[in-house]
Amino acid sequence: MIKKERSIKVILKWLLKWLLPAALFMIISMLLYCWYLSIQIDERFSGRRWSVPSRVFSDITILYPGQKINSTLFHEKLHRLGYRDVGYEPQSKGELRTSTTSVELFLRDLNVPSRRREGIGVKIRFMRNLIESITNLNSGGPIPILELEPEEVMLFFGTDRERRRLVSIDQVPQHVINAVLAAEDSRFYQHRGLDPLGILRAVYTNLRHVSIRQGGSTITQQLAKNYFLTPERTFFRKFKELFMSLTIEAMYEKDEILEIYLNEIYMGQKASEAINGIGEASFFYFDKPVEELSLIEGATIACLIRGPNYYSPYADKKRCQKRRNLVLNAMYEKGWISEQDLEIALLSPVIAAGYESYGKKAPYLMDYLSYQLTRLYSPQDLSSLGLSIYTTLDTQVQMAAEKALKNGLVRLEKSNPALNRADPKKKLQGAVIVMQPKTGYILAMVGGRNYGMSQFNRITQARRQPGSAFKPFVYLSGLDEFTPASILSNEAKTYEVDGTVWEPQNYAPVPEEKVSVRNALAKSINLATVDLAMRIGFDRIAGTANLFGFSIPANPYPSLCLGAYEVIPLNLARAYCTFASDGLLPYPLSLKDVLDENGKILERRHMNIERVTSPSKAFIMSSMLRSVVEEGTASSLKNIGISFPVGGKTGTTNNFKDAWFVGYTPDILALVWVGFDDGSSIHASGAKAALPIWAEIINALPQYVSENWFKMPPGVVKRMVCFESGQLDVNNRCPRPVEEFFLADNVPTDYCTIHR
Amino acid sequence: MSKNIKLLIMLCIGGLGFGFFGCAPVTSTTSPIPGLGRSMQTGEDETSPAKQSPRVLASLQLTEQGRQFIESGDPDDAIRMLEQALNLDPANGQNYYYLSEAWLMKGNISQAVEFNRLAAIYLEDDDKWLYQVIQQRERIKRSSR
Repeated sequence: MIKKERSIKVILKWLLKWLLPAALFMIISMLLYCWYLSIQIDERFSGRRWSVPSRVFSDITILYPGQKINSTLFHEKLHRLGYRDVGYEPQSKGELRTSTTSVELFLRDLNVPSRRREGIGVKIRFMRNLIESITNLNSGGPIPILELEPEEVMLFFGTDRERRRLVSIDQVPQHVINAVLAAEDSRFYQHRGLDPLGILRAVYTNLRHVSIRQGGSTITQQLAKNYFLTPERTFFRKFKELFMSLTIEAMYEKDEILEIYLNEIYMGQKASEAINGIGEASFFYFDKPVEELSLIEGATIACLIRGPNYYSPYADKKRCQKRRNLVLNAMYEKGWISEQDLEIALLSPVIAAGYESYGKKAPYLMDYLSYQLTRLYSPQDLSSLGLSIYTTLDTQVQMAAEKALKNGLVRLEKSNPALNRADPKKKLQGAVIVMQPKTGYILAMVGGRNYGMSQFNRITQARRQPGSAFKPFVYLSGLDEFTPASILSNEAKTYEVDGTVWEPQNYAPVPEEKVSVRNALAKSINLATVDLAMRIGFDRIAGTANLFGFSIPANPYPSLCLGAYEVIPLNLARAYCTFASDGLLPYPLSLKDVLDENGKILERRHMNIERVTSPSKAFIMSSMLRSVVEEGTASSLKNIGISFPVGGKTGTTNNFKDAWFVGYTPDILALVWVGFDDGSSIHASGAKAALPIWAEIINALPQYVSENWFKMPPGVVKRMVCFESGQLDVNNRCPRPVEEFFLADNVPTDYCTIHR
Repeated sequence: MSKNIKLLIMLCIGGLGFGFFGCAPVTSTTSPIPGLGRSMQTGEDETSPAKQSPRVLASLQLTEQGRQFIESGDPDDAIRMLEQALNLDPANGQNYYYLSEAWLMKGNISQAVEFNRLAAIYLEDDDKWLYQVIQQRERIKRSSR
């Protein structure tokens, strides 16, 4: 007995001497280790928790009763916006029903700077290519104007190419939370990071089914694994995960941990982009915000967590449904849904919204925009701060411009096999920019034939000679002394400039020896233009051009007046906007607003105008440029569907290296350029190569055609003049009197001397 | 006449006078921000909405929203709305008027001047609006000093 007592004492002594200190040492080490982990966790969680790519959006689309519409482009737009045809009257946001004469849609919420609107059901009735009426689906009440939300055009991804939309725990419906808990960790709110019961249950279930049916990891453990740790499976990593989970649970509330988890989890793949977080997943799978997920949809999303790509409804609907039903059953077992709800849900099919693979839309314009944005924000900020960037892009115009350019270039190559090139990088090229001349909004930009082949933006980076497309600036320079009725010489002359002999020629024979200014511009008569330029002076022409944003050096060559100086197409388009906007040069606007992820406006850009000529001169120029279209080098426009007033100018350079057409109305301006990058001849003029592309673009955009012309401003008067002399018409004597516009302070005072 | 009666008479006269002047009609001052509801349409007659094209009517909807933003002291949102209105109808003189107003609120005199000038061109046929444009020009001049 005494021996037994002694041995117990020895054991106890040994324990006290070795085990207790060892245990104390271990506990202290663990606490120190947890403290060390807490510093890492705090650092990670207190800073910015995730990289959220910034998104670029197009402009909103305005619809109103009586508006002309291109139904094909409109329906494509609805499809790009993700509206789903449901075959019944739309009940939820994002649903659509089409018929031959109407479209019913349940609009999504509109939330852009200056405009907020809750989603409502609307019915748009069409009559041929016109919106006949827009009414509220519920009340039947008329809607005088409607805005469609902007399209997401581009994302600024980081290297990880993760898509994510952050949500707060309050935004997630309880049934979705329950679904996630049922799927992953039903005792989440009971345990402190580790769930021994859960582990035991998982072991039992897996042994019973001789397969891995359940994991034993808690949500906290999963968070620790995904957020902090590398994916390799080692003992040390598991050990670290364990302590990290305990530390997280000690540091944060349960709801906060769940919120981080819901925003972190990997939820699938959209081509090369990773879908992360429940906010992005709800859009990817069901095209709606997380707040609107139904029980069935919530269960579907929850069921994906275990294997997003394996259980994805886009991969295998049956497999997805089976897994979803497991989650629903688990929810029922926990008492989170009723038996009735369960029965209904189990029978429901899996219906996912579908998606379009990400492809950069309007890539040239996005590059141009990116350049502007990187002067405001670093690439790192753009790929992580979740900014919302709103632009002036109209995707319908962009689609029309891209299609017309492609068709036009193919048409030219077919009509002249000499234009074909085997090397895709050396193929015939083109570029288009479409703007609203009054505001300077860039609606569309196509910088080349194929962005994938060449990212060189021929609208913003190319320098090409405009040829005759420059002539309007020559004529504008002379408007103080010359009028549209003034007579110019069309005789071939030899000029000597700085010791060099120059003998300009007309593009095509013009028999008249004398022509009016109007006619000279309409028919692009080189000799008459040179005559005008010589009388105005080249320095004055250069001065005028530089006011418009060109960079013409002092003492320019005389060939300037025939467009032999290089310009950037964007600057040329912008300069022409002045004629359509009462003499005001607009800033070419593409970026409108930048908002942070909380919706706070960080940057705002408005139209910006600068007076470079008077409204009266701008009006007279537009009048003359209208003659180009009605009687001059662009008169073929009327044969290709353009029957309303348009002002414009063709341009063709020497050896047909460049073909241009710039055309505008009060509502829209488009510039088209065609040529080879290496300057080879395209064997076609501006009227043949560029003009048909312009016509195709405008014909596809009836919503931008009001058929109006410019209002005659103060400072412009009308007089009847003799066509031959350009002087005031003598009543009943001049055989061809014409009505002409004049600046009020430059009106002819002499009557016709030919027919008096 | 006793003192009390004199006092009573004076009080009556005073009370009558107070009542007379107190009930005088209040003259309203003209707001610099005319609204569409006050028949400030472009210089056409009362039947003009029927003659205006759908595009013009849609533009005027946006113009009115822009005007409301100006009234609530938000020139940036007003400009954004008015730019959209301008894109729909570049000949809408009211847009230029309100754009001038918004830029004046932002302190950008050069932009205010240009839009005021455009308003004068496009509203020259409407006496009521032209008067407002001239008043606006005066305010711009005062602001630029």
